[in-house]
Amino acid sequence: MSILSISNLVKTFPREKGDDLVAVENFTLEVNKGEFICILGPSGCGKTTILRTIAGLENLTSGEIKVDNRVVTEPGSDRGMVFQEFALFPWRTVRRNIEFGLEIQKLSSEKRREISQTYIDLVGLRGFEDAHPYELSGGMRQRVGIARALANEPAILLMDEPFGALDAQTRNQMQNELLRIWQETKKTIVFITHSVDEAVFLADRIVVLTSRPGTIKSIHNITLPRPRSRASPVFIELRKTILDELDAARST
Amino acid sequence: MFEGVKDFFSGRGRRLGKLSFTDVLISILGLIAFVIIWHLSVIILNTPYLPYPVEVLDAFFRSFSEIDPITGVTMWKNLEASLNRFLVGFLLAAIVAIPIGLGLGWSKIAETAAKPIIEIFRPIPPLAWAPFFFIVFGAFLGPVLVIFLGVLFPILSNVIFGVKSVDPNLLDAAKTLGAKQTDLFLKVIFPYTVPFLMAGVTIGLGIGWMCIVAAEMIGAEGGGVGLFIQNMNAIGRYPEMFAGMAVVAILGIITVGGARYIEIRLSKWMGVSHK
Repeated sequence: MSILSISNLVKTFPREKGDDLVAVENFTLEVNKGEFICILGPSGCGKTTILRTIAGLENLTSGEIKVDNRVVTEPGSDRGMVFQEFALFPWRTVRRNIEFGLEIQKLSSEKRREISQTYIDLVGLRGFEDAHPYELSGGMRQRVGIARALANEPAILLMDEPFGALDAQTRNQMQNELLRIWQETKKTIVFITHSVDEAVFLADRIVVLTSRPGTIKSIHNITLPRPRSRASPVFIELRKTILDELDAARST
Repeated sequence: MFEGVKDFFSGRGRRLGKLSFTDVLISILGLIAFVIIWHLSVIILNTPYLPYPVEVLDAFFRSFSEIDPITGVTMWKNLEASLNRFLVGFLLAAIVAIPIGLGLGWSKIAETAAKPIIEIFRPIPPLAWAPFFFIVFGAFLGPVLVIFLGVLFPILSNVIFGVKSVDPNLLDAAKTLGAKQTDLFLKVIFPYTVPFLMAGVTIGLGIGWMCIVAAEMIGAEGGGVGLFIQNMNAIGRYPEMFAGMAVVAILGIITVGGARYIEIRLSKWMGVSHK
């Protein structure tokens, strides 16, 4: 069942001189409920623009985005977002960061506490409820970012290179954590990355974009069972195929 | 000052309150050297206008118990009068500057419209207004308005700068969590601006304190430390005059120190600094 449907998305940005910059062109994609989608592309291909448009943070130039059959026009709590730079509120503790969306929904403090505790436990931050973001490591900060987005109970989790600012080891650890969280919450995830390795490790489906203007070059169904081993021949083969595609995309 | 604010958010605080024993000792030796040089200067210059340090110290303590012959009040009363003006002027400035600063930082149109006005008034020393304010608004409100102007601009420009430097990622994050305009303002922009505001307050306190003494010298009634200095000069009681200056210095240290303390406590409470 499709939960997110993007049809003929076009996004252009006005430029001071000359024609408008076409960032995304004719991007069409159906995402099924519970699916883990990775959008992969060279830098500057408009993949972040696509995600921001789904989030409602950017207006689309033409085309249509529907979530649960409702047309997206502005940000809404049916779509949660996780940012590369974490974007945590520095003056709020872990708990109060996670409760931000719940405060806006005007839930009672008991209800907020109950929900935030659930997600604090889910992302493994028990014991750090009263810490401030500056006291946490990068990986822990992003756990807060994920819990904050999930606490609003969105239908879709949008993730914009969420592990891009982490070191390689933490990154691998967070990928495993995310898969566990995904399996427990059964959320639909749209995950932006420029790492082929990360996409093959995580995704049910990988959408490969061309360089600017971003449009779909190919879609790969990854049927490898989880947990996936990066050393398995199929993994390596897939990674090579997609890397070659990206190289071709970059050179054209 | 903005560097300090940046540290504030990254959690890299300035090291404060970590003075070693040797640092304290060296500072005390510096002060002693200063007093000795002062004492020697009195001997060398041999002028009635510069009193000995001990004379000033004596006048300082006496001024709190003795009535000064011109105004007929003690230093306590003068202090009270100055602090009253200071507090009213300062609060007035904060009440005006904070909402206007938030508005101008947020709205490009409002800022464009207000900028020329601000740029015309900002370079005018607050003291230049003193005679006008004194004539039009009287002996209490006159000096108060001088302080008001002195404090207004540092707070205003810091708040505007604070709003403008709000991390756009935080606004985006808040929007995706369901925040509307009012939430963005109250839950993101305002808290983000608080450390900038406090930096402006600290600067404003220093300037305001300078303004008050000078404004009282130009015109004030019912006592005031500035007035006291002026009067003591008029009747040639120079130790008292210097004692008045010492009172100004001490109060300046206390007010600015107090603001710094609040700044540090606030940063701890907001969790944006290690201090």
